Amino acid sequence: MSTSIGRRVVITGCGVVSSIGVGVREFTSALRAGRSNVRPISVFDTTGFAHDNGCEVADFEPARWIRTLDPGDLGRASRFSTAAARLAVEDSGLPLETLRAARTLVSVGSTDGEAHELDGLVAQELSAGLAGLDPRQVRRTSAGRLATSIARELELTDVETGTIATACSAGNYAIGNSLDAIRCGDAEFALCGGADALCRKTFTSFYRLRSIAPDCCRPFDRNRMGILTGEGAGILLLESLDSALARGARIYAEVLGYGMSCDAHHPVAPHQAGIARCMELALADAGVKPGEIDLISAHGTGTKANDMTESAAIRDLFGPKPPRTVSMKSMLGHSMGAASALAAIGCSIALTEQFIPPTINHRDTDPDCPVDCVPNESVDADLDIVQNNGWAFGGNNAVVLLGRYERQPRKETAR
Amino acid sequence: MTAPARRRPVISAWTAISPFGYGREAFANGVRSRREPVTEPGGPGEAAVVPSFDVREMFGRKKTRAMNRVSGLTVAAAQQLLADMALAPDGDREHIGFVLGTTTGSAQSMMDFTRASITAEQPDHVEPAAVPGTVMNCAAGQAAIWHGLKGPNATIAAGRTTGLQALNYARRLLMTERAEQVLCGAAEEHSDARSWLEHHRRGGAATLGEGCAMFLLEPADSADPRNVLATLTGIDSRICLDGDLAGTLQATVSSLLTRSGVATERVWAAVGSGFPAGSERPEDTTLRQLFGDEVTDRVPPVDLIGDTSAATALFGLASVLSVADGADHGEQDHIVVTACDDDGSVACALLQLGGER
Repeated sequence: MSTSIGRRVVITGCGVVSSIGVGVREFTSALRAGRSNVRPISVFDTTGFAHDNGCEVADFEPARWIRTLDPGDLGRASRFSTAAARLAVEDSGLPLETLRAARTLVSVGSTDGEAHELDGLVAQELSAGLAGLDPRQVRRTSAGRLATSIARELELTDVETGTIATACSAGNYAIGNSLDAIRCGDAEFALCGGADALCRKTFTSFYRLRSIAPDCCRPFDRNRMGILTGEGAGILLLESLDSALARGARIYAEVLGYGMSCDAHHPVAPHQAGIARCMELALADAGVKPGEIDLISAHGTGTKANDMTESAAIRDLFGPKPPRTVSMKSMLGHSMGAASALAAIGCSIALTEQFIPPTINHRDTDPDCPVDCVPNESVDADLDIVQNNGWAFGGNNAVVLLGRYERQPRKETAR
Repeated sequence: MTAPARRRPVISAWTAISPFGYGREAFANGVRSRREPVTEPGGPGEAAVVPSFDVREMFGRKKTRAMNRVSGLTVAAAQQLLADMALAPDGDREHIGFVLGTTTGSAQSMMDFTRASITAEQPDHVEPAAVPGTVMNCAAGQAAIWHGLKGPNATIAAGRTTGLQALNYARRLLMTERAEQVLCGAAEEHSDARSWLEHHRRGGAATLGEGCAMFLLEPADSADPRNVLATLTGIDSRICLDGDLAGTLQATVSSLLTRSGVATERVWAAVGSGFPAGSERPEDTTLRQLFGDEVTDRVPPVDLIGDTSAATALFGLASVLSVADGADHGEQDHIVVTACDDDGSVACALLQLGGER
């Protein structure tokens, strides 16, 4: 193994565009207060659906953060990713000149890319035919632009860019990819996370699979009815510990490791063995034992199948008394490719501020999901290591482990 | 980042499903003969399609209801490559990674689904079996299921530079030992939706191609030296901010060569991504300036099989390996593959033919 592998990597900036707040401060107070912002979906026509609640980013003003590019050239998801990246850099205190002078990775996870734009093109097709599509909107549809738009907006040229399209765990994939890139010296900084925009295609998909809750999302509850579709972006700034210390940066958390597995089992159903193996791989990568985990930020979609399967896999690994296991999707809805990135930011904030964000809308824990989900109200807690889960269609699983920053490495890892 | 030689990724097998047909030989023969494949009308332009490819004919009716064309092409290519790898039939496949490049999955499946919802009597009167095909990772997920691949499974979207970004992602999986072997490919399907999107994107008609090119990557120290076709020396990428794509590409290629200690004269073949279509081809011009006509013309243009969008760069790599097979390249032991996109992204891969000497 190359000597530079093992470079410690920390999170020094967080950019949030979410249904419960834009920016770290708003997001933190919403997580602490257990707020959600559920409302009937307005970004596409929901006529004919019996219920249409969702978690939109309301009153989003892209021009506040997107200054170099014309927001009209960006799809809705790219606007979210680009604004969140700008917020992350500002939050980190890292001068843009420093970022521009260093080799950087921009890695953005997404479920749908710019499917919201494709939805709009379908509407155009129905009225004007395929020959009548708007070329400007067509140019917005390439999924790679979720990442390249960030580089162009921040004027980064010495940069590797890519969108990781591994559906609802893609945010964790991007964080893991960035961890590896910095660990092994491919990049000095990484802007990574995930972004997705609400779209008719995905809402209809989950609706048809009878997985959309009529009112709100109640993870681990006996009467949970499914997800609420959401949107937004979470982008994190990662750098080596040495770099963060040298510039006196505020450190949210250390990225201790991550794991990926593929179920190779079913296109949409979660798979207990596959996700248990993913958690094991993440723990091994970080050199952490199950007993050292203080909190699990669950994938926790609020569907019957996910919450039962996930709880069972957690108990397989952690035994009958697993760590407290919360679902931030109870507040954020399911923001798809942004979900595990926003949850990773939530975990970073939890480690910094030493509290556990709650699982809201909770009434009666399902005996088939026997976890302490910290119902309804956040609690102060002594948190050292937090695990962030992400599962996805295609059986694409990814788990990220974050730790409170300590001067001494926790231990010599096996890597 | 330069990996220690023993961990450096090598390509030890590859395959392609393309308008030239099925498998490495069919593709290599097509490229070597520079024969233009048959095209047919497709969308607003022409299309070079994979001959008589039909998912249900190839895989049967069972378990293929949810399989769209791009997934079928991917599953079939993976099947060919796995057959070359001589794996134990019931062996552990937890350490085989799978990395696939795409523009946006299947635009056709995504748009069909939305259209069905808008035009149906009720907006939820849609086919549930169609849902998985509307997600960008559908093809990689299907390949994992069909072939039992349980290692890291990723889908990468980076416009026309996708293939090289996928290669870089695969390289990182090997360097970090997250996978022992990686099947790395890129796939595009021909469809009405993609034809029209490409037509509007470029503001004119084009001949679209389709298919899947896929490579087996493994660390040098675990590959059978007799199988090693090329060693991945490095990959670099940039974003062009000032509109000077040729300049950015030139800087990217030069910096990669310098960093790798490889003189320009040692490059035997260079292939670009045919960007942009039309009369001005800054990518082609740049490669000619850097390497000369002989090196640039060693391999036919990658759009011989039509524009394959996100799969372009890996079809380019397959083209070079096709022509290099059995050729006497003497001291010119390196190859260069580049790609550019209209979003400003530029990427370049440098490979050494055969194993490291």
